[in-house]
This record gives sequence, structure tokens and C-alpha cells, in this order.
Amino acid sequence: MEESLTERANDILEKAILAAAEFQEFNQEQTDKVVEAVYIAALNARIKLAKMAVEETGIGIWEDKVWKNVIGTQLVYESIRNEKTVGVISNDPVTGISEIAQPLGPIFAVTPVTNPTSTAIYKILICLKSRNPIIISSHRSAAHCTGEAARICYEAALSAGAPEDCVQMIPAGSREFTQTVMAHPRVALILATGGTGLVKAAYSSGNPAIGVGPGNVPVFIDESADIPFAIASIIRSKTFDNGTVCASEQSVIVEEKIARTVRDEFTRQNCYLLSPEEIQKVEKIAIVKDTLSMSPFIVGQSVQTIAEKAGISVPLGTKILLAELSGVGKDYPLSFEILAPILAFYVAKDYHSAIKLCIDLNYLGGIGHSAGIYANDEKRIMEFSQLINAGRIVVNTPTSQGAVGGTFNMLPPSLTLGCGTGGKNITTENITVKHLINIQRVCRRKMNDKFFSVDRNIYMDENCNETALRLEYHKNH
Amino acid sequence: MLDFDFNPEEKVLTCFFKGRLDTVLSTQLALELESKFQSLSENADKESFLDFSLVFDVKDVSFISSSFIRLCVAGNKRVKEGSFSILNSDPFIMKTFKIAGLDGILNVK
Repeated sequence: MEESLTERANDILEKAILAAAEFQEFNQEQTDKVVEAVYIAALNARIKLAKMAVEETGIGIWEDKVWKNVIGTQLVYESIRNEKTVGVISNDPVTGISEIAQPLGPIFAVTPVTNPTSTAIYKILICLKSRNPIIISSHRSAAHCTGEAARICYEAALSAGAPEDCVQMIPAGSREFTQTVMAHPRVALILATGGTGLVKAAYSSGNPAIGVGPGNVPVFIDESADIPFAIASIIRSKTFDNGTVCASEQSVIVEEKIARTVRDEFTRQNCYLLSPEEIQKVEKIAIVKDTLSMSPFIVGQSVQTIAEKAGISVPLGTKILLAELSGVGKDYPLSFEILAPILAFYVAKDYHSAIKLCIDLNYLGGIGHSAGIYANDEKRIMEFSQLINAGRIVVNTPTSQGAVGGTFNMLPPSLTLGCGTGGKNITTENITVKHLINIQRVCRRKMNDKFFSVDRNIYMDENCNETALRLEYHKNH
Repeated sequence: MLDFDFNPEEKVLTCFFKGRLDTVLSTQLALELESKFQSLSENADKESFLDFSLVFDVKDVSFISSSFIRLCVAGNKRVKEGSFSILNSDPFIMKTFKIAGLDGILNVK
């Protein structure tokens, strides 16, 4: 059995290596032609793929999935199309350093159930732009739609002259096989987007990995904020695809002095404030008690579906279920990440208490991911940002769309968001093409005149201390 | 730099720290604290002293060194589990305990 898995993995990697070998011969023009063809085909399939994704997974809203596909194709393409990814990509005559981009080799990409087609397309685009073949492992509940996205991209790539097997899919459902491929010595890099277990498996494989796991996004509404605007923005984000973006708001924190206004505004904008009894009912269906992780049965479900499952009644047209909590952690299950239109709400007695709550929530499974602040006080924005451990702190912006980039700010559009070392990642950046190339630096001889002007013998003199060495080093000759 | 408030009825010793608690000052404060413990334990048998709650109030503290964190850990060991707390930390100080992974154990509020 083990041998069979290894043989199958060898077969896939052999194909990928041949594709990689051919790909590294491509020039920029050939590469860009392939990327453009894939972008066009994927963008044209945005609606079909969105509908397939919702139909197969039962998660989210197809219209929002269309927007995700647009982000994963058009916005990603526009952000990378002019990037130099082949050969000499920079040449600095002052430093004498030239940079040469080299592909990495086969990339193993894992795609999540929440964004199954958009993440696949985005990963294919950035891999092909960097001349890396890609092997995709989809979530078992999204194998068909992810497979279709990959097929469309692959056929378009082939039609534009891409190497055979530059896009491959592995059969979904076998964790063992996924891990076998992941750990294969010919895999150059793993791009893992998904749950904690998956990311851990990627890092344990022995291959380099960019693994991006869960978040738990706190959003602070400062007294200086435009409250109706802030609430509208939060709703726009938290309801987007029924809250399936990992950067979507998980909790809103306010000071006591504006709490009533915020509560009223949430209610006015069709959010439903759960009673303590209703919170208990929602907790039971939203969070798995033993693991304190979100229940897969409510991920990406509508408010009405969640309310029905919980056995509560909410007004028709309710956008978000708001749960006012008094604490953070295992005794307050709704303080954990939930990718559904359920939002925790906290009232703190003052500004410092509010920020401390944000830190607590930030550390509850979301270190390094994303956070949000609504404020018109720059000092507070910067103070909040320094205290929160997040790769992206988005300001006066819906966090789902803001963290992903490309629409509300100038962050590179990406469906894999680095979480820094707090999230066990090597970067806090939005993952894009530049993370998928090896940059070689050609360093021409440029003498350090200061160093070579110093009398070498003084370094050997025990009586010559740091001050003397510094003065000698910086002396004008 | 360090004031005490001892409430014998509620069995709570509150220590009010002030200023920048660098290594030098924290070492000095540790001695003051130890002296306070000694004087309190002289007036009570050892077992009942362990029943006391110990509160470090850091409202007027602007910086904490690792020595102060060690002082907190030592304070926590002097009382029964759950009887130690740090009150009125500002967000920067709270984050320091968070990074040290001690905010839960030391009950930082």
C-alpha cells in the first residue's frame, strides 16, 4: 500500500519535473503569453465556476463567489502582468548587483473548501507566472469545482504553449496520499491554504512551505469613527460569501461610551442581537465543544439556515447574528473563529480595556493574521496597530476585502495571506509571484573604500578600542 | 515606587507599583516585597498566610523588565493557585505578558 502511494507520487512528480525543466527555458514573453491565456479563460469561466462551487460545497453565495473569482483572476493578473519573473529582473549600476529570477520547481498547492475555485486559479496564475509547475490538492468536498477550474486553466495554458503537465490535480480524499506527495523530495515548495492540521502537516513534511492557517479577526470601533459607516462596512464584509473569508470580522469591540449607538446602528442595519439564551443555542451548533473549532455544518451558511439549526427565530432579512459576550476563551465559544455571519460583540469600560480585549482575541487562534480598526484618530490607529499582532491591520475598511487586497487598498491581491512567525509563517505579506522565485544576485566587485583605507595593523593592536576603530573607519581620506 | 494596602478582613495584599520597573528597580522592589511578606507572616501562621490573595496593581507603571516579570512569577508562587492577579495593566504591559505567555497564569487584567 505504502509503495503504491509512493509510486503514484513518483509518477506525478516525474511529470512535474519534466514540466519544470521545459518551463525554465521560457522567456518572459512566452511566460506572459501563457499567463494571459489562463487569465482570460478563467475570467470567462468565473460565473460557471462560482455556481459549481456553491452547488458542490453548499457553502457561500454564488454571486460573491463570482467576485472571489474576479479577484483571483483579473485583479491578480493585473497586479502581476508587468512583473519581471524571468532572467535579469533588476540591474543596479550603483551597487553593481544584478538580480536574476529562477523558478523554484514543482509547487504543491492545497486549496480550501471555502474558496475552492478562486484560490486554485490564483495559485495557478502565480505559479505559471514564475514558471513553476503546480500540483493541486483540493478539499475533498470541492474536488469537482476545483478540478474544473484547474482543467480550464491547464487547457488554456497548453493552448498558449505551456509545458505539458504544468498543472496537475491529485485525487481528493486521501490524506495519506496528500502527505506522501507533500513530503516528496522533488517538491520545491508547498503552498498550503487551509486549516491548522493541514498547515502543520505542510511544515512537518520536510519541504519548504508557505502555510496559511486560521485567523480570529478583531475589529475595534473607536469613538472617533463614523459609526454608521463602520457598521455598514462590517456588514458588507461579514456577509460577503456568508463570512467564508478567513480575514472576515470575528468580533467587534467598542468602548462603553459608544456601545449604545453601535448596538442601535447594528439593529437599524438589520443585524440581530442575540439574547443570552439564544447565544447558548447558537454556541451549540456553531462550535464543536471538544475541539473548540467551528462546526463545518455552519461554515458559509446563511443567517436563516443558522437560525433554523439553532432553533431560534430571527426577522427575515437579518444580515448578521450579533452575540454580546463578556469574555474571551473556552467559556465563550463564540469568541473563536467562525466563518459564518455570526459576530461577537464586546463592550469595554474604556479605551485601554477595549484594546486589551482586542489583544486577547488576537491571541485566541488568530496571531499574525488580520485585524481592523475604524477611527479618524491617527494616533489611535498607530497605537492599535503596534499592539496587535497581525500581518494586515486594515483601517476604515471591510476586513474580508481589505486584507485580500487589490480593491480597498494597494495590498497585492492574494488568496493566501501570510501570518508571520506568530502564525508559523515565514512572512506577513500577501503571497504573490515574488514569493515563488529564487532571486540570484550577481555581485560585481565594488570595493568598500572605507574598510580598505583603514590601516590593517590597528585591528591587531590590543590597545585599539571600538572608539578608535570607529573613528579610523569613518575618517575622510 | 512601591506602596502596600493590606486588607486583613478580605485577606488581600495589594502592591501598588509605580514608574519604570527596570532590572535595578525590580531587584530592589523584590527585597521590599520580601520584607513585607516576612512582616505579614510573622503575624499569621504560615498556612493562613497562604490563603491570602496577592494583587500587583500596575496602573502607574510605564515599563516592565524581565526582572519584574520574574517578580510576578515569584509572587504567584507565594499564594494559592488562582490567588494572584495583576491589575490595571495598560495594553503595552498586557502585551508584554502575552508575549511571555504568562497572561493567563498570572491573571493579567
